[in-house]
This record gives sequence, C-alpha cells and structure tokens, in this order.
Amino acid sequence: MASEVASALLFYLVNGLIWGLIIALIALGLSFIFGVMGIVNMAHGDLYMLGAVFAYWIFSALGNFWLSLLIVPVAIGLLAAPTERLILRPFEGHPAVTMIATAGLSFILQQLVLMTYGGVPKELPMPLQGSFDFLGVAYPLYRLFIAALSLVIIASVWLFLHRTDYGILVRASMQDKEIASAMGINVNTVLVFTFVLGCVLAAVGGVLAAPVTQVFYLMGNDVILLCFIVVIIGGLGSLGGTLVAALVLGGVEGLLAYFLSPTGARAAVFAFMVGVLILRPQGLFGTQRG
Amino acid sequence: MLFGFFILTVLGVLMPRGPRSLAMQTMAFCIFAMAYDLCFGYTNQCSLGHSVFFGVGAYGVVLSLLHLQSGILLGLLIAFVAGMVVAFLMGSICVRLTEAYFVIVTALFSAIFHLLSLDMTWLTGGDDGLSVTLPDISVGGVRLSLYDPMTNYYFILVFFLASYLLMRRITEAPLGKVFISIRENEKRAAFLGYDPFRYKLAAFVLSGAFTALAGSIYALTLRYATADLFGLYWSIIPIVWCLIGGVGTLVGPCIGVALMFFFQYYVSAWWTHYLILFGVLILVILRTSRKGLLGYLLGR
Repeated sequence: MASEVASALLFYLVNGLIWGLIIALIALGLSFIFGVMGIVNMAHGDLYMLGAVFAYWIFSALGNFWLSLLIVPVAIGLLAAPTERLILRPFEGHPAVTMIATAGLSFILQQLVLMTYGGVPKELPMPLQGSFDFLGVAYPLYRLFIAALSLVIIASVWLFLHRTDYGILVRASMQDKEIASAMGINVNTVLVFTFVLGCVLAAVGGVLAAPVTQVFYLMGNDVILLCFIVVIIGGLGSLGGTLVAALVLGGVEGLLAYFLSPTGARAAVFAFMVGVLILRPQGLFGTQRG
Repeated sequence: MLFGFFILTVLGVLMPRGPRSLAMQTMAFCIFAMAYDLCFGYTNQCSLGHSVFFGVGAYGVVLSLLHLQSGILLGLLIAFVAGMVVAFLMGSICVRLTEAYFVIVTALFSAIFHLLSLDMTWLTGGDDGLSVTLPDISVGGVRLSLYDPMTNYYFILVFFLASYLLMRRITEAPLGKVFISIRENEKRAAFLGYDPFRYKLAAFVLSGAFTALAGSIYALTLRYATADLFGLYWSIIPIVWCLIGGVGTLVGPCIGVALMFFFQYYVSAWWTHYLILFGVLILVILRTSRKGLLGYLLGR
C-alpha cells in the first residue's frame, strides 16, 4: 500500500519535473526578451501554442513528427523577426506599453489560429512508443526524450551565452543597451536575434509538448503566467535560476496535483508565488533590478 | 458629458428594447472603464487584476441576495464595500512593486481568484454560475421592480451618473491633483511630501470599489454571476477601453466602451473573428496616440 502511494507520488513528481523542463524552455525565451529588450511579452504563450499547432499541421501533412523539430524553429524565426522590427520596436523599454501591445498581438495570433485550425482541441499520437522502467514505475519513453532534449537545448543556450563571441554581445546588451551600442555593438541585430531566439525556444517547447497535451488555440494562456513566475523567481537573465525555478514549480505542482484538484494545485502555487514576491521582490536567485 | 447624460435620459424612453438592453450593459461597463482609468490613467498603475474586483462585485450582490435576502440596494452596498476591502488587501501587497512586477502580481491575483472560483462550486456555481431572482426595491414607499425594462434602465443610469459625478469630484479635488502629480513624476511628488504609496493605494482602492459596483450592476442586468467574470479577459478589456477612448480622463473611457460595443455587436455579426481587428486596433492606437481617441482629438 505504502509503496503504491510512493510510486504514484513518484509518477506525479516526474511528470511535474518534465513539465517543468518545458516551462523552463519557454520561460528562458521570455527572460531573454524581457531582459534584453524590456518587452513584457504577453504573446509568449501563444508562440508555444503556435509551435504545437505547427507540429500538428506538419504531422498531418507529412506524417512525421520529428520533421517539425526542424521546420518549426525556421518558420517561427521568419515570423518573429519582422514582428519585432516592424511592430514592437517603438514600444520597447516601456514594460506596460509592451504588455498591452503584445496582448493585442496575442488576440491576433489566437484568432488567426482559430480561423485556420479550428476551436476543437486535437491530439497527436506519441511519436515514441514504449516505456522505461524507473524505480518500479513504467514511464513513457517520449517523456524522457522531452526531458533529454530540453536539457540539451538549455545547456547549448548556456554555452552560447557564455562561450561564444556573439553570446557576449547579447549579455552586454542585456546589461546596458546604450553603452553596448556605444561600444560598437550592432544592437539592432542583437535585438532581432534575441527576439527570434526567445520565440523559437517557446515554439520548440510547444512542439515537444504537443504529443502530451491537447493542441488548442488557447493553450498558451495556461503557461504564460507560470512562465512569468518562473522568470521572476529565477531572476532576470539567470539561466540556472530559471531552470531551478521551473523544476521546483513543476515538481511542486505535480505533487500537489496528487492531493488537490489540478486547478487547486495551480492556485496554491500562484498563492505561494505571491508570498515569495512580497518577501523577495528581486526573485529567489536574482540580484538585478525589476 | 452632462449633455451625454441628458441624451441618455431622453433616449431611455425612445429606444426600442434591443438597443436599450445594450445601453444598460454599456453603462455598467462605462462605470468599470472610468474606475479602471482612476488607477491606470490617473496614477499610471497598469493593473491586470481588475477582474478580481469585477467578480467580487458581481458575486457580492448575487450572494447577498441569495443568502442574506438583503434588498438590492443593500446588496450593491455590500458589493461596493467588498470590492473596497479586497482592493485594500490586494493593493497593500501590490502597489509597492515596480511596474513590471505590479502587472504580473496583479495578474497572479486574477488567476488565483479565477481558479478558486472555478474550484469552489459550492459557493460560486463555477462555470455555470448562480442565477438570482431580483426582489422589488422600495424607495420612500414606492416599489420598483427591475424586471420592468424601463425602471431597470433608469436605475442603472442613476448609478452611472452618480459614479461619474463622484469620480469627477475625486479627480478634480486636491486628491486627484496629487494622483496626477504622482503619475507625472513620482519622485518629485514624494519630495513635496506626498507619500506615493498611500496615494497610489488610495487610487487603487477607489478604483477597485467602483469596479465592484460595475460588476454588481452588470450581474443585476444579467441576473446571474459566473466564475468567468474573474477571467483574464475582464482584466484586459478595461485597458483597451481606456486606450481607445483616452487615458487620464473620465469621458474617454466611456467613449472607448461605446466604440467597443458598437464593434462587438455590429462587426461580430458579419465577422466572428473581430478580435483580430481588435488586436490591430490596439497596435495602431499605441502607435499613433497613446492618449487614445480623445487625447488625439484634443492634442491636435
């Protein structure tokens, strides 16, 4: 009996942690976009949604899920670059204004998807069959693939930021845009690049999540607040902090879902976050400005 | 503006049934929009948590009618006070925070209330909501029934007018001037001896209370309240109203509401995806004039 409870709890915990990794991917993008450009991107959840919807389309057209991991980043990049340059650029640096503008963008994206994709939630088949035995719990192989790929992506983003020349430029722009510009950095391309990178991260999160959730035009609304919390708790621009915060949040929500209803678990997590923000407005790991 | 009220008074008699019920909802939203602007336009606090007050107001009146058998007027008062209390509690947490954090924490509150109201069906009725039968109101020996559309119309008009006059009194009083000075330059206002936190909190609480009033009147016109009223939609829509009509005024938000309603009812009739136009409209307005239509016209 006790071992059954333990293995059920373990299952919920692992589920929560894997969800946390997807959240970490999305939140990382959000953190870049906010950190470098000062955009509070309310449409970020919709990029996650777009990733999942594109994955669904690619699967139904080509019959192959894995191709979407290649095609979606390119497609989202082509969409995101002009959006930043032409629509969002004038609002950057004013958090409240960017928030409203991106909320407008979010309406547009959601309705466009509703028009073309329809309002009915759809499901993708698992691209990887089979399961993996983990401490007496049979675990679907695909979920472990999600975890592995997310970790690889997060690690390569870290390597990019800290071990390449262009990463230094991005970090410099994050610290101070004007000085970076004065030092001869082409901040314009850094801005476009950061926005594209952030959007692609969210979309890849959507592709990975597509087979394990329902693909729905409002699915972005479920993750957006969670991602904002992760960014704040983890501290702006802190990659490790974002990862830890996402894992803790995912794990806690997963465990709570065993005891409470899913909505109750999420409400409890949000309430906890409000408490954290009151006590430590700079986040648990961050030391930077808000 | 007063001329507008005069027109509304006359129109109440002339309007056919359909537009009149639209006008009633519009007036409830006008109170919401003006209340929101008290916070957004006058003290520059871009809250995403006003759906909390809207929902609290709606449930305040519905629950006090259902469980306390209070009359409608007492129910509205309870809703107003409940909104004030919730706004005070929420504001004392949020108002101190910087811009981005304020937005996100208020959004968190809105999400918590929405999730809880969906979960606690025994209290709120969840998605299905709670419906209510409206008792008669007796004022000075006269009994009025809100089931009479004409009475209902003028009932709401009275509250609309009263809210407008009260809020105008507040914004034109020294208090309102302090609000504006904090919006323009918070540090300088603090230097002059005004504690920005207290004044911003005051604006937040007043805004919350009037939003709750709007919510309760909206619930009375619908004759029910549902958990949906706590949804994020009701936090974003007032921003759009204020932006379209004009931030930092009381008349502007009302214009925004009227335009939006026109949009929603006539454009949605021939195009269901009118929210796209809505999004485009937001971007265009932010691009051309952040002060909205009224600000654009006045600024020319």
